[in-house]
Amino acid sequence: MASVEVRGLRKRYGRTTALDDVSFEVADGEFFCLLGPSGAGKTTTLKTLAGLVEPDAGEVVIDGLPSNDVEPTHRGLAMCFESYALYPQLDVYGNLASPLRSPLFRLPASEVDAKVRAVAGTLGIDGLLERPVTRLSNGQRQRVALGRVLVRPARAYLLDEPLAHLDAKIRASMRAELKTISRDLGTTTVYVTHDYVEALSLADRIGVIRDGRILQAGTPEEVWARPVDAFVARAFGKPRMTLVGGGLTDSADGPAFVSDDGALRLPLPPVDAAPGEAVQVGVRPRDLRLRLGADEVPEGWSAVEGRVWVLEHLGRATEVTVAVGAARLAVVAPRAAVAGLTTDDRVSLLIRPSTVHVFATGDEGKRVSP
Amino acid sequence: MTAPGRPPGPETRRRSPVAAVAANIALVVYFAFSLLPIAFIIALSLKADRDQTTTYLWFSPTFDNYRTVLGLDGGGSSYVRFFLASLTTSVGAVLVSLVIGIPAAYAAARWRFKGSDNLMFTLLSFRFAPELLVIIPLAVIYRQLGLYDTAVGMIWVLQLVTMPLVVWILRSFFADFPVELEEAALLDGYSRRRVFVKVVLPLVRPGIAAVSLLAFIFAWNNFIFPFTLTSSNAQTVTVSSLAYLGGNLVRFNLVAAGAVMAALPPLVLALFIQRYLVRGLSFGAVKG
Repeated sequence: MASVEVRGLRKRYGRTTALDDVSFEVADGEFFCLLGPSGAGKTTTLKTLAGLVEPDAGEVVIDGLPSNDVEPTHRGLAMCFESYALYPQLDVYGNLASPLRSPLFRLPASEVDAKVRAVAGTLGIDGLLERPVTRLSNGQRQRVALGRVLVRPARAYLLDEPLAHLDAKIRASMRAELKTISRDLGTTTVYVTHDYVEALSLADRIGVIRDGRILQAGTPEEVWARPVDAFVARAFGKPRMTLVGGGLTDSADGPAFVSDDGALRLPLPPVDAAPGEAVQVGVRPRDLRLRLGADEVPEGWSAVEGRVWVLEHLGRATEVTVAVGAARLAVVAPRAAVAGLTTDDRVSLLIRPSTVHVFATGDEGKRVSP
Repeated sequence: MTAPGRPPGPETRRRSPVAAVAANIALVVYFAFSLLPIAFIIALSLKADRDQTTTYLWFSPTFDNYRTVLGLDGGGSSYVRFFLASLTTSVGAVLVSLVIGIPAAYAAARWRFKGSDNLMFTLLSFRFAPELLVIIPLAVIYRQLGLYDTAVGMIWVLQLVTMPLVVWILRSFFADFPVELEEAALLDGYSRRRVFVKVVLPLVRPGIAAVSLLAFIFAWNNFIFPFTLTSSNAQTVTVSSLAYLGGNLVRFNLVAAGAVMAALPPLVLALFIQRYLVRGLSFGAVKG
């Protein structure tokens, strides 16, 4: 096991920039998630770590040693490819045993057999060992690909979307399995995903990547509670955080926000911006509350008047989109509480100033609230 | 990949019986049309001397021509020697092309460098120019180097025919080969050479078989190089058959017998590796 670090990685393919100064550090035994949309440079970063892609600039440091010139074979990393990359001429057993039969990690046949069967058992593919990999479902292939990584000791695991092609049910159970496995093995892991739920549930730390740049790296709590910019804020949570553009003003009790059309007024926590500056604010749907009727506004909350725009019933909860002027704010409410509600009804939203995130304008507007 | 002869699925459009019969008649006509030259040459090879200039297929067949060509009638013949020379030069040319061409094609597919496309184009351009264009200087050079009328010389010159074929076809095979399979093997602890031998080669074997067969046929059928660069020693069957046309007696039936036998090796080879050939020519089937 080892720590893994990249410093200032840059990579261009022709005119497109894949990596634009990517740096992060993964401590020994840490589970690090690289989260980003497709085309963000996640896979390129992983392959650069593995030595399969040569960076134009920057450094890969494994276990404290600069490793740019180390051949992929000798980096001691195991990688699970998004395309599985299983050897089609071999059966499941042959694929799982491949690392243990290589000149570098060769083991006696009996040990190979024991390890292959153990890993296959863990992943629930022990019934498929004699099956050619060309005759497996995607979920089974994914498990084999994962098994080929887990079967041998590695200094770090590099996992590229290992759950992406599974259907929702298997994905949830595999996620739980992965969590257990990684906790038991304690191996340093770099995990690439576009699914924020995977990142939040698995990672010790998350790096949010976009257009080849790491926007924020931190613990799941940090990136959730204090996103550094508007993009990171919107990368987590479903429904996504709605952002409303407007300006800062001063009021009797501190700074306040007024939306562009003046319909939404919010008290804010102290912000690092001057009154009159254009900003955008966002509130996570689960931090909002729907006020029905004339309930009293609780202490520390403030109410905003609006109309029901869209109602989406999702099982127990209902996602209500409320129109406040031109702004659309999503809120999740218990289904029973909104039973009588229909589109265009007048409602009010309860907001706590401390849960309001304030960002500068723009797609990646920087955070200005504490 | 759809295997040939697969029973038509339910999606197959039902045709009216009339159309089906018409289609079959058209196919039979086409079949007869395309096989006629072969039937004709086989028939000619079985004709006695007095029938050799006739075109009808009604005659009393004789195997005398084959006996004459093979020298079994005691007249003496070098056909077998020329046949073996053909075999040596063609197989040799294909082997040399494979030994050099497989790594070259792999490198060309995987390693893009400045001018790599130009290099590949130059290689292909050997096939643009008619062989006649270079044959005179080649003949002069071969005489000076002592390669004239040698098997080595023939194998060498046939590289002009087989090498571009091997490199170009295999390059597209290697280019279609998923890089991630190789990357996975690298991380599994295999050296680059072992990755190539253990992962890549087994999967492109159909392609190698297909391209070997094609190269063999082109080398075997080549006429102009053995015609100008060999005489009695390394001469091939394609050229030697001409001997029966020279002199004061033209023997088409003997030429036909020689040609029929000369057509056998590619045919037998094709039958042997047909399984690979179909898979090889419809490549792109390496999916993880």
